[in-house]
Parts: sequence; C-alpha cells; structure tokens
Amino acid sequence: MVNLRDEELQRIAERLGRDPSVVELHAFDAAWSEHCSYKSSRHFLRNLPTSGPRVVLGPGEDAGLLHLGTHDGERYAIVVAHESHNHPSQVVPFEGAATGVGGIVRDVLCMGAEVVAVADPLRFGRCDDLASHQSHVARGVVDGIGAYGNAIGVPNIAGDVYFERGFNENCLVNVVALGIVNEKDVIHSYVPKGAQGWQIVLVGKATDPSGFGGASFSSLALDARDAELNKGAVQVPDPFFKNVLMRASYRVFALLRERKVAAAFKDLGAGGIVGCSAEVTAHGGYGAEIDLDKVNVAVEGMPPEVIAVGETQERMLWVVPPDFVPELLQIYNEEFGLPDVAYNARATAIGEVTAQQQYVLRYRGGIVMEVESEFLTGSIHDELPYTERIYHGAAAQELPALDLQGIFPRVLAHRDVCSREPLYRRYDSVVRGCTVLPRGAADAGVLAPVPGSRLGVALAVAGNPRYGRIDPAYAAEQAVLEAMRRVVAVGAHPIGLTDCLNFGNPRKAEQYGGFIAAVEALGRAAKELDLPFVSGNVSLYNEASDGRAIPASAIVACIGSIDDVAKVVTPGFKAAGSALLWIGSRELVAGGSVLAELLGVKGTLPSIEYEAERAALAIVRDAIARGVLRACRVVTDGGMLTAIARLVFDALTEGRKIGAEIDFGNPLCEAGGFVCEVAPDSGMDVTGTLQIGVTIDALELIVNGTRFDIEHLHEVWSRPLAALYP
Amino acid sequence: MPVFPGTNSEDETLRLLRDCGADAEIVHWSQASKMAHYDAYVLSGGFAYEDRIRAGAIAAHDRMMDYVIEAAGSGRLIFGICNGAQMLLEAGLVPGTGAIRRPTAAFTRNGPAPHFICRHVYMKLAIEPARCAITASLREDALVPAWAAHAEGRLAATPEHLSEIVAGGHLAFVYANANGSVDEAAIPNGSALGCAGLVNREGNVLAIMPHPERDAWNFNHLDRREGDDVLAPSGGSVLFSSFVQALAS
Repeated sequence: MVNLRDEELQRIAERLGRDPSVVELHAFDAAWSEHCSYKSSRHFLRNLPTSGPRVVLGPGEDAGLLHLGTHDGERYAIVVAHESHNHPSQVVPFEGAATGVGGIVRDVLCMGAEVVAVADPLRFGRCDDLASHQSHVARGVVDGIGAYGNAIGVPNIAGDVYFERGFNENCLVNVVALGIVNEKDVIHSYVPKGAQGWQIVLVGKATDPSGFGGASFSSLALDARDAELNKGAVQVPDPFFKNVLMRASYRVFALLRERKVAAAFKDLGAGGIVGCSAEVTAHGGYGAEIDLDKVNVAVEGMPPEVIAVGETQERMLWVVPPDFVPELLQIYNEEFGLPDVAYNARATAIGEVTAQQQYVLRYRGGIVMEVESEFLTGSIHDELPYTERIYHGAAAQELPALDLQGIFPRVLAHRDVCSREPLYRRYDSVVRGCTVLPRGAADAGVLAPVPGSRLGVALAVAGNPRYGRIDPAYAAEQAVLEAMRRVVAVGAHPIGLTDCLNFGNPRKAEQYGGFIAAVEALGRAAKELDLPFVSGNVSLYNEASDGRAIPASAIVACIGSIDDVAKVVTPGFKAAGSALLWIGSRELVAGGSVLAELLGVKGTLPSIEYEAERAALAIVRDAIARGVLRACRVVTDGGMLTAIARLVFDALTEGRKIGAEIDFGNPLCEAGGFVCEVAPDSGMDVTGTLQIGVTIDALELIVNGTRFDIEHLHEVWSRPLAALYP
Repeated sequence: MPVFPGTNSEDETLRLLRDCGADAEIVHWSQASKMAHYDAYVLSGGFAYEDRIRAGAIAAHDRMMDYVIEAAGSGRLIFGICNGAQMLLEAGLVPGTGAIRRPTAAFTRNGPAPHFICRHVYMKLAIEPARCAITASLREDALVPAWAAHAEGRLAATPEHLSEIVAGGHLAFVYANANGSVDEAAIPNGSALGCAGLVNREGNVLAIMPHPERDAWNFNHLDRREGDDVLAPSGGSVLFSSFVQALAS
C-alpha cells in the first residue's frame, strides 16, 4: 500500500518524465511521508532557537550535541536524541516500544558516541480495568523498554508516565537517549568533501520483510480495524544482537581515531537502505549507486522494493574510504562475529559514492531506481489550513473550602501522582556503574559519564497532558519550564533541550493549529530561558477512532551540566530544624491541577512569568553554590504538599526519620517552583523566597495545623501502580 | 575477564578491579585461546547468549568456560557477578556440594512476581570471612551495598540440597536490610535461604547475584556526605578490594 497523494504522484511523474517504478514509488512513499519529510512541521520548527555557546551540533543529523565540559584537556559533548514510537506501540506494545529504544540508541551511536542513558516519557490510557487493551499496552510497553534497555546495558535514568482517557486508543511512547563523545571524534551523518568513490557498507541484521512500510504507517491515523494488517509494519527488536553491534561499533570508533580516518555513519531508520544511503550521500553533495543483490537478506526472493525500503531493525550504514573497508569488515564479521550472533548478519559493501547527484539502485543486472538525490531527499512542504487559537478551558470556578485531611491522601494516590516505582524498577537504572541519581530518586537522573572525571549530566522530561487538554501552547511552555526546573533542582546547570511533539491530525485545522501554537510557545520559552533545542521529533496523526486528537503533548527533555558531581543535591530531607523555603509562584490557582480534577472544578491556569522564573533559578543556584541547599524538589503534579511529602519519603528510604511542619494557603495548587531545605544559619539572601515552615524530628507532616502520619501517607502513595505492575 | 556475546557490565567491572589495584583485562569470546594464562577470572554481568534456555545456561558450555573450569579445579580464584554467577551455577562450580562437578541448583526466574527487578540491596556475609578466599579481608557479618538488577536471581534447589548448602557453609551472602537485619522484606527476588551469593567447597569460587560494582564509588551513594572524595572507591568496592588482596597473597 502506498500512501502518496495524487498531487505528489503527479509531481514525481513530471520530474522523472515517466511513470515511477515500483521501487521508486515505495522510496518516495517513505521519503515523503510525514515521518521522514516533516512536510507539515518543518517550516514551523525553523523558529525554534537552535544555537548558543553550548551547542556543538544543532538539529539536522542523527542527533544533536551539547558541550558538557572539559576533562584532562579534552572537550566532551553530550549527544542527545528524542523519538516517538507511538503507533507501533499501540499495535504491538512490547515490540513497538523495544524498537523505539533500539532506534534512538542507534541515532546516538551513529554520532561516534558511547550510549550512556535513556529516558522514557510515556502516556497511556486509563488502566482502571486491568484486562483492558490500554492496560495490555501499558504493561507491554514497559516490558519492551526494559527488555531492550536492560539487555544492551544502557541505564534508564529518567522518564514520566500519565494515564489519561485521551490516550486510550493512541498511547505515546517517547524515548530520549544520551551519549558521550570527545568533541574531536564526532562522526557525521553525511559524507565529507572528497568522498567520491568511497564505499557504502551496510552493517547489521540481514534484511527481512519486517517493518516494510513503517514510515508511511507512522504517518497515518491509527484505525483500530487495520491493527492486524499493520502489524507487519512494526519492526522486530533484537537487543541481544544490538549489544554486540554497539560494542563492535565502539571498536570501529577506536580504530578510526587511531588511523585518523574520516567516515560517515548513519542509522537505518525510516525508509530503510534507500532513505539512509540517499541522505548520507546527498547531504554531502554526492550521489550513490547501490547494488541490491549485495544486500545480505534473511529470506530469498524478496521483491526489490522490500529490500530497498524495508525497515528491518539493527542496521546501520558506514561510508568509508575503500582502503578502510577490509578492517571494517574484519571487526564486525570476525572479531565480533556478527554472522554467528544472528542469521546472516554481517557488514557488507553494497555500493559507492558517485560524483553525479543521482541516486541509482541496481537489482539483478537492471536499474530499478534512478532519481535525482536532491529531489528524493530535498525538503517538501505542505500548506495546510489551521486554527489560530486553541483553548478548551472554561471560566474559573471558586474552589470549595479545603478539607486537607480528606483530600491529600486522594491526591497522593492519584494515578498521575502516586509512586512510579512498580513501573521503573523493571528498568536497569545503574548498569555502567556511573549512575549518580538513579531513576525515581530525584526530580532528574544524573550520571558521571566520563570515567575518572567529576563532570556530571542531568536529564529530566516533562509534558503535562492535563494542561495539554486545555491549551496546547500553554502546556508546551510549561513543559519547558518543568523540565528545566527539574535539572536545576538536582544541582545542574540547564544547557539545552530536546522535544518530541505528539499531536493530532495536521489535516484537521484545529488539531494542526494546536501543533503550530505549541511550537511557537516552545520557541518563546526557550528564547526567554536562553536554552537551545538541539534535536527533536514530530509525531502527528495521533488520534482515536472517533477522530478526536490525543491531549496535545509537546514533551520536552532538558539536559543539565554539572562541573562536579560532589555538588549534586542528594535526595530527601537531611536534618530536623532546617528552614523550608518556597521559591516560586504564590498564585493560589488550581487550573489543570490534580486537585481541580478530584474536586470536579475548573480553575485558572497558573500564569507564566519569565522574569520571576529567572529570579527563582538564580536563588536556587546561589543556594547550591554556597553549599546551603540541603534538599530540593520541584512542584508539579500534586502541588507543594506532594513535593514535601516526597522529600520526607526520600529521607525515609535513606533511613532518616524527618518530618515537616508548614503553613501555606493552598499547598495543593500546582503553580511551579521549588521547595528547598536550607540550613537555618545559611546566610543566604532570602529576598524572593518565602519561609513556609521547618523540618521536624518526627515522622509527621503538619500542614496548616492538620497532622498526617507519614507511614500511612507512604502506604497510600506507594500502592496504586502495583496492581498494573505487580 | 571473559566477555560473551550479550555481556553488558564488563567496563565498570574492569574499572573497579583496576581502581582496586588489579592488573586486569578483558578477553573477548573470539579470542578464547588467550584465556589460559591468568591468575584469576571475573565473570561480569549481562545477558550472555540472550539468557536462552536459562540465564547462564549456554555460556556455561562455551569454550571460554573450559578455561574457567580448569582454573577452578587448580585452586585459582573465580568471581562471578550476576550473569557471571548464573554461569558458575550452570557450570556446576557452585555450590559444588558433591564430589563431581554438576549443576545442582540454579538462580532462576524471580518470585513472586516473575519480572526483572532493579533495586538497591545489602548483601550480608553469612560465612566466616576466611571460609572464602575472596571474602577473607572482609570483617565478620560485613554488609556490602549493591544493586540487584536481574530477572533470574532466585536460588532454587531441592529441600535436601538447600540443607546441604547450609550445612556445607556454601551460603556466602544473604540479603539484609540497611541495619543488617535479615527478613523477607530484604529479599528482592524470592531467593531460597535469602541467598545472595554462594561459595564452593574449596572456597575459591564465589558467585553473587547483586552488583557491588554499581555502588562502588562515592558518587554512586545516595547517602554520601559532604567532603567525601566522589571519585574514590567505597561501599561495594570492599568486596573487590578483598578479591585483589587475596590475589596478592
């Protein structure tokens, strides 16, 4: 099935001066799909800020790079990639999610980096009924992410999960991956000048019929009736093979460094061999000639279009000078024995770089594809109508008088607030031995990615669908703010962002309008906070069978740098008698909060003020620099009181029994900011902060005079997800 | 350190061995013949051969293991962690209660929930330190912090055999709480006897399920204190230090 539209088919035929061949049809189908071409998003994404002193490489290649710091005179960069695997995960949750991890890990690897971390923002439907399809999806996705990440040995250090009815028929599975690379050893996703005659080497699993039509499938609305039909479009994961492939590639990186040989390396993702080899050569200003008969295949007799654009997992493409080919093949095929690890897996030279900018595919002696590279890979653009302003909020209602005793335990047990441990304990968060803050320990995960160095990197994700339901643009801005606050709260300096924009159908003006407004909002927030976007991904056509879009979901990840991991803010309250400071908004509004949902009222959305935000960040960072910040958490789902309860829980996990006593108007509002535990004699300038209470030497939480038993609260908070993830 | 297809913890294990003073290197599965000339072998974690059949089952029959089995017989030190421990059980080197080398117990599918679990744990030394050469420098009842990270870590054996494991002093480590107490809550995986580690009869082969090398530098500890050198080995590294000391003596 080809999903090109009539006008696109016409354009192809006109340019070629003939009808396209079957192979060409499928090649254009993949290349011009939304998934590959970003045809309805690219022109808006151009407005995002992508440069700055920390940017080593902005968007455009397999992944972006941010300067982390210097160790032993060498400059290190963090490689950042962010992707979605939403549609495949809805159809076959385990495989869909696992291949999502596999794909993003390859994007990082292909920059010449060691892969050091993954994070997974997840959005599932309501799972109250454990036998429902959405519960099956929620379990399968988590198992798939765990099975893949655990086996390849990459720690899962951050992520979030929400359960909303709007995702019942279309879950979101986003994955962020980080790598570490010496900046002088970066390998690019395009061939350099002088690459004419270089060899194109395919490495990885034997090409099979799985994943045929994947890019095109990801660019359609999921129709439940076609679910069975579409299973073939989902790739098959093989983390065991990937483990070996990664390690073999690390060995190749070392040899390239030793020999000072230049090369290009690119992941085979959407569009398969054609998509990858056309881009890696065309973006360097060259063409390519590929012989499909040289491709190692898993089954004989596959049609050429399947070999050419099928999306079999665990494959990558090297472009190297001819004299490096023998050593490259030796490492993959003999030293790491790929053919012994998976059937007919290997590295094989399949073609070469040509001076003419033509992309040519040969098969059984004939030419099955011959197009201008630029025409295939160049940018295409859809002009579609959209609605300007999207806001689904209602007039704010008065909040009823707060019955804290009754409502706070319900907030803690809410599906968006309760402990995520039953889910994330299925992920290895500490493999590689460089984890500083593992998954769930704090607001962000932290690693020391350069062995022997004090440099640290923090990673956090955000994107609140309760805001997304109301206002796509507002939700996008809040996602930037929350992700950034999270890395600040662990003691890191935010240096860059990456996003995955999960939205509805761009052919529906309102859904498209939501996307456009969200991109604008992301740009606004990033500019105000002086943070660049270095990579990202767009996933459109996320809608249910009744045509309603998912809650608008601009999911943002923030990367923070740490000069010395000794300065990382460790979890939980440290001592009784500390001052508790609130650094953030004092607006007592409940719009989009868990509290408002539980009370069944509409509230005003907290306002966004960048001046105040910058001031709050400066205060927190000053307290960390002075060494007076003992503990910190950001306020998100469940409000300030939830953040304080978690600081008590975190301390308890480490064996410290410390409670808190606070007074604050409505501590269940979710206007953003930081709860900080500060030494009583800190000497810090407290302008702009509000002392809301103190830590106490008892396992109690006393709030506006109401007492809570911590063990009871902990029980209430810990339990809910254990039913879904036993 | 032999590395099999699917091993994934070799780099940090090697780093810690070296930080503790060992002269260590990795031997890749394609270079098995290099395996002969070492004083000791450390089998690190991962999913060798994809955990097919049962974790460690295929690797136990790899030609790399022939060298390990021979070395164990000649009294050299063998230290297996997680997947490495599973291999040692599948190869029959531990618990090694009988006269003939054969597998008599397994680290198998976690219980009661049969899932992978990643959880911070403490391993408590359950034998006299000198009973096992690798633990000889630990103090009595030593508590070693580590991370359990496995789907197959539950010790399973017949009741009779479990009794032999206890009677023969093969139960090297049990799971414990942070204060050293031992109860059900401390066991992450339903392991029989609360077993976290086993030693062979001769005391030169140790197999542990949790990963001390993942809580082995100050920066790994969530409870580290101000002023600690974050890059210094500590915590879980005591077991590696003890291993290196045993090698030196």
